[in-house]
Amino acid sequence: MKKTILTLAAFLMWITVASANDPAYEAAMQKQIKAMNSIPDLATSQQVTNGFLRIAEAKNEEWLPLYYAAYNQIIAAFRFEVDKDQYFDQAIELVRKADAIAPGNSEITALHGYAIMGKLSVDPASRGQEMSPQAMQLFGKAINQDRDNPRAVTLMAQMELGMAQFFGSGPEKACGMARMALEIFEKEEAKLTESYILPTWGKSLAEEVSSKCN
Amino acid sequence: MNGQLYLTALFFFFHLGVSSQTLITGKILDEKGQALPGVNVFIKGSFDGTSSSIDGSYEFETSLQGKQTLVFKFLSFKTQELELNCEQSEITVPDIQLVELITEMNAVTISAGAMQASDESKSVILKPLDIVTTPSAMGDIMGAFQTLPGTSTVGNDGRLFVRGGDASEVGIYIDGMKVGNAYGSTAGNVPTRTRFNPNLFKGTFFSTGGYSAEYGQALSSALALNTKDLSIRNQGDLSLMTVGGGYSHTLANERQSITASANYFNLGPYQELIKQNLDFEKAPESWDVEMAAQKKTGKNGLLKVMARTEAGGMKLWQPLPGSENRVFIDLKNNYTYAQANWRSALKNDWMIFTGFSYSKNKDRITYDSLKVERESELLHFKATGIKDFSDRFSAKFGVEHFVHPFSEKLVKENQSRAFNDHETYLFTEWDYYFNKNLVLRTGLRAGNSEVSDETWIDPRISLAYQLGEKGQLSVAAGKFHQLPEENYRVLNQNLKNTESNHLILNYLYSKEGYTFRAETFYKTYDQLVTFQGTAQNPESLANMGAGYAKGIDFFFRDRKTFKETDYWVTYSFVDSKRSFHQYQTQVQPSFAPRHNFSLVVKHFISPLKSQIGASFAYNDGYTYTDPNVDNSKMNSKTKYFQNLSISWSYLPKPNLIIHLACSNVLGRDNVFGYTFSPSTNDQGVFESIPNGQLAPRFLFLGVFLTLSKDKTANNLNNL
Repeated sequence: MKKTILTLAAFLMWITVASANDPAYEAAMQKQIKAMNSIPDLATSQQVTNGFLRIAEAKNEEWLPLYYAAYNQIIAAFRFEVDKDQYFDQAIELVRKADAIAPGNSEITALHGYAIMGKLSVDPASRGQEMSPQAMQLFGKAINQDRDNPRAVTLMAQMELGMAQFFGSGPEKACGMARMALEIFEKEEAKLTESYILPTWGKSLAEEVSSKCN
Repeated sequence: MNGQLYLTALFFFFHLGVSSQTLITGKILDEKGQALPGVNVFIKGSFDGTSSSIDGSYEFETSLQGKQTLVFKFLSFKTQELELNCEQSEITVPDIQLVELITEMNAVTISAGAMQASDESKSVILKPLDIVTTPSAMGDIMGAFQTLPGTSTVGNDGRLFVRGGDASEVGIYIDGMKVGNAYGSTAGNVPTRTRFNPNLFKGTFFSTGGYSAEYGQALSSALALNTKDLSIRNQGDLSLMTVGGGYSHTLANERQSITASANYFNLGPYQELIKQNLDFEKAPESWDVEMAAQKKTGKNGLLKVMARTEAGGMKLWQPLPGSENRVFIDLKNNYTYAQANWRSALKNDWMIFTGFSYSKNKDRITYDSLKVERESELLHFKATGIKDFSDRFSAKFGVEHFVHPFSEKLVKENQSRAFNDHETYLFTEWDYYFNKNLVLRTGLRAGNSEVSDETWIDPRISLAYQLGEKGQLSVAAGKFHQLPEENYRVLNQNLKNTESNHLILNYLYSKEGYTFRAETFYKTYDQLVTFQGTAQNPESLANMGAGYAKGIDFFFRDRKTFKETDYWVTYSFVDSKRSFHQYQTQVQPSFAPRHNFSLVVKHFISPLKSQIGASFAYNDGYTYTDPNVDNSKMNSKTKYFQNLSISWSYLPKPNLIIHLACSNVLGRDNVFGYTFSPSTNDQGVFESIPNGQLAPRFLFLGVFLTLSKDKTANNLNNL
């Protein structure tokens, strides 16, 4: 029995390793990520989201396509004139699916918090009380899951800044976190290669928060 | 030979496979034949695909061969698939029409009679936060609802009166379970409050008529309060008020949470400082202990448990008109409420709910030399199932059972009377969407009462139609039954159900930041309880009363026009007449003023970290019977009612709120009616005492502090 489990585990590991090295998947992801980094309008944004969703359909054991589809929806909601609640809700649904594939992933947890933060920004006065602790908790959880995730720290910094502005207090706490995030971003940049498909976004956001500090 | 041929063929095929590309083109339309851009088109199981462009057309190449499945996927549309044989170099797919899914977001909703307060629904009239920040409400749920259309202010009562109906005609539910004695017990002319803390609830559904077959035993209105789901963090909440204080503590993790709280209120010190118009021997005083817990079960089930117990009382001297004598009243109340409910989504699109609730209310009243003990219990079991047959068609089925004992005792005389009713209900409700612009809801509710020995059926129907982008029109009609109030049933157990019929026409317009609502209604009453003698000593009780209420109301809320300002305006007109209680002819009830107006304004001042609010309420006065005028009933009307309340909430820190409120700042001397002496004085006049306010103003100061060990913040500091 034990042997069977071991074999099965080895087999599963082999599958994971094999799929992680699927060149067609990596190429498709790189293409979409490249497209995502230069979106001029809402229609293109929809195309990019669709692209990630196609990959997600074909590779239903991968969390990254779902993650990027969700991220792209969040960014679209912030950038374009759309029904923001609907976009953030879609993003949350995609995050949930990604989380079911890769439970406990810090990037996914942080993105979940980002979507909640988006919903909060639609109506801060009446949603703040319920949603700001939710977002804070998710960012905190994401940091606990991976202390080298600069996006979790950046989002937490932005949340702290927003709260400081809402309550008219100083940005010191937010600034400290933004600085910390920037340091982690530098470490992350050392790892980047041409074929890197894991999340790398967020540095400009951290810079924006830290620019409020002087 | 054969094998070789096969190999050659295979090689040839394989070769063809890698080199050939198939171009797939086509067009996607919606149900109306309009181009649908942004649709995800792809071959199942591959990365090959594209999105439809602005004119609905698409084209992409694939190197896949043979039988393939082409998928058309677009959010809030039904996914379609198409079998393709990729053999040619070019395939033109026939036009595809995608069918839109009907969802809560895009479909019309039934709004006749209904007002929702939650953060989720699109037709939100009132948000949960509004309940605590409406100045005239003083933190009471009913106070906030009194600023909504269809309600009237009865200042010396505090309960909810809807469209010419009395307070008992409003059914109050928590998570779908009936709440017995939802208001605190009080002596005449001392306004009461809801027993439950508004912080318990995440949303409410308030219906002023024509409501769902899920609710019964309410002639006018259903008020459904929904408790919060899982709490999000551990925290402690401390409140210190001029009238008392309390502490509440929450423990939470991802699967379960529990909140326990205790409060103590005593109006004594306040009444020492501010003179009251009633002579209190002992000011209203109460304590309560409450527990609410939530637990996730399985993948999508949620179990909620809630329990509360409280005790309170007051002693006061009530003046008698035309006499120097006063009556001594001593009221003691004990109340317990407990409920548990569980909901879960099952396979095959079934949703089930089961629950029970129990309430027990005991009043011990001394009225002069009379000592009365009154005890009422209500046990409610309920189970419902909802089945979604498709996005267009769903059905709800439910069964309920009530056990309802009531008893009254004259302590000194050692006399008592009681009844113990068992009621059973079955209900079903069917929603059918013809398309996303038109929905029909039909419902049927059947009931049986052991004590009144009768069985009845209430049919109900509603229809809603989308008018343009932002507007919708709904109609609702239905029959409603309610067993008479306990104090009458205990005197005459043959009393049957009282009855009403509703017809409602509603128009709702909602646009980002604005809501406008207009509703007109016609309601008839039948079989209302009538009696001879006085309200204190009714005789010959019978179901002989009848009447009607008709009117129109308007509501407008604007959160956008003025920066940092949110306001809503309500006007309700009610024309109501009925024969009931001691009135043998149809009269306008004292609790149904004809014109009701209210305005609530809230303004946030960021530099001051403050929200200031004002609410203004007006009605044209209450009817009463003046025996000095003539013999007819309800022959007089009080002066108009008016109340301007203001409040100031200050948030110096995210976790600290200081709230100051003052009701009736202008100090208007509102009168709600008069009590007349039963006989004339020397001059042949019936002397009277006005039923007014306890004091011209009520001043409230509260400090609310939230203590939470924010784990995330600590961790961050250690990073």
